[in-house]
Amino acid sequence: MKRVALAKLVKERLKADDLVVCGLGATEAAFKAAGPVGPTYFASDPMGLWPSIALGLALARPDRRVTLLAGDGDLLMNLQVLATIAAAPVANFRIVVFHNGAYSSTGGQQLAGGERLSFAAVAKGVGFEWAFEAADEEVTRRLDELFARPGPALLDVQLEDEPCPSVPPGPWSQVEERTAFMRALLALDGAA
Amino acid sequence: MILEHLKRAGITLVASLPDQWLGSLIKQCESDPAITHIKLAREDDGVGICAGAYLGGRKGALVCQNSGLLLSANALAGIAFHHQIPLLVLAAHRGGFDDNQYYQMYKGRVCEPVLEALGLPHRVIDGPEELALIEDAARHAFLNRLPVVLLLRRRALMGQQ
Repeated sequence: MKRVALAKLVKERLKADDLVVCGLGATEAAFKAAGPVGPTYFASDPMGLWPSIALGLALARPDRRVTLLAGDGDLLMNLQVLATIAAAPVANFRIVVFHNGAYSSTGGQQLAGGERLSFAAVAKGVGFEWAFEAADEEVTRRLDELFARPGPALLDVQLEDEPCPSVPPGPWSQVEERTAFMRALLALDGAA
Repeated sequence: MILEHLKRAGITLVASLPDQWLGSLIKQCESDPAITHIKLAREDDGVGICAGAYLGGRKGALVCQNSGLLLSANALAGIAFHHQIPLLVLAAHRGGFDDNQYYQMYKGRVCEPVLEALGLPHRVIDGPEELALIEDAARHAFLNRLPVVLLLRRRALMGQQ
């Protein structure tokens, strides 16, 4: 499966009042190509922190579904965060791992652990009740299950190792992006 | 006492990693129904959690040893400071005159210069009589949209022991 195809499958399962935290680099490019649905926080540097940021958002907003689109390199950098997530009261929090086994934005260097690396196995090992790997035709069914059940839950999706064109910087600084996200969330609250 | 100041500052989420001097505070955070207490395995995740909580309108604090600030330098500079996201950090200030273990000493030596280099507002709290600074520091953090660090010495965390 290509990463844009996965981004589109996730998008089909999102509602307008869902919150998304989207990993940087190739994951960001894929979800931007699919097009975000509700308020979406696109990650920037530094790597490694976006799972914990998404967890904090889920803790602050238990009334909304929070989905993290996690790049595999980003998740691997602070892998221990999965233990913290597993122990946290976040039934509203789901993770989809974009797992192609490579640092795509920097030239496709392979991740440590290579083809044996399983984020689903790690998640199970630290206490996730629901964590699976999926590839190709299994992905649709597993995504349906992921969004049908309470979190925290993790779906580790195997992707093709495609090259990623570098994402040019947008017009806004990270401070402005942060403010825009918070205002979008407030507007959503007002509309509810 | 420390927890009361945190609650009066509007903080409802505490992410912690233990230190010998933090046992009492962490135990109180764990048992207080007004606090969501999150167990960290690494301190910079706490910076991320507090940052994410702020995006959703909730105020968070990171409770850890000062070595956790050294580890979290990239998260504090790159997420909190650079995105103008406030949080309060309460760190056990190991490695000072009030510590008795050689392996702690580098922390007391390098922590404050590192915070200076990061441009993060910070204060040392020597004893319980200064704990009201917690509320001032939190107000400063959320007013300025910046991480603010309080370094707590043994007497501030452990009383006269």
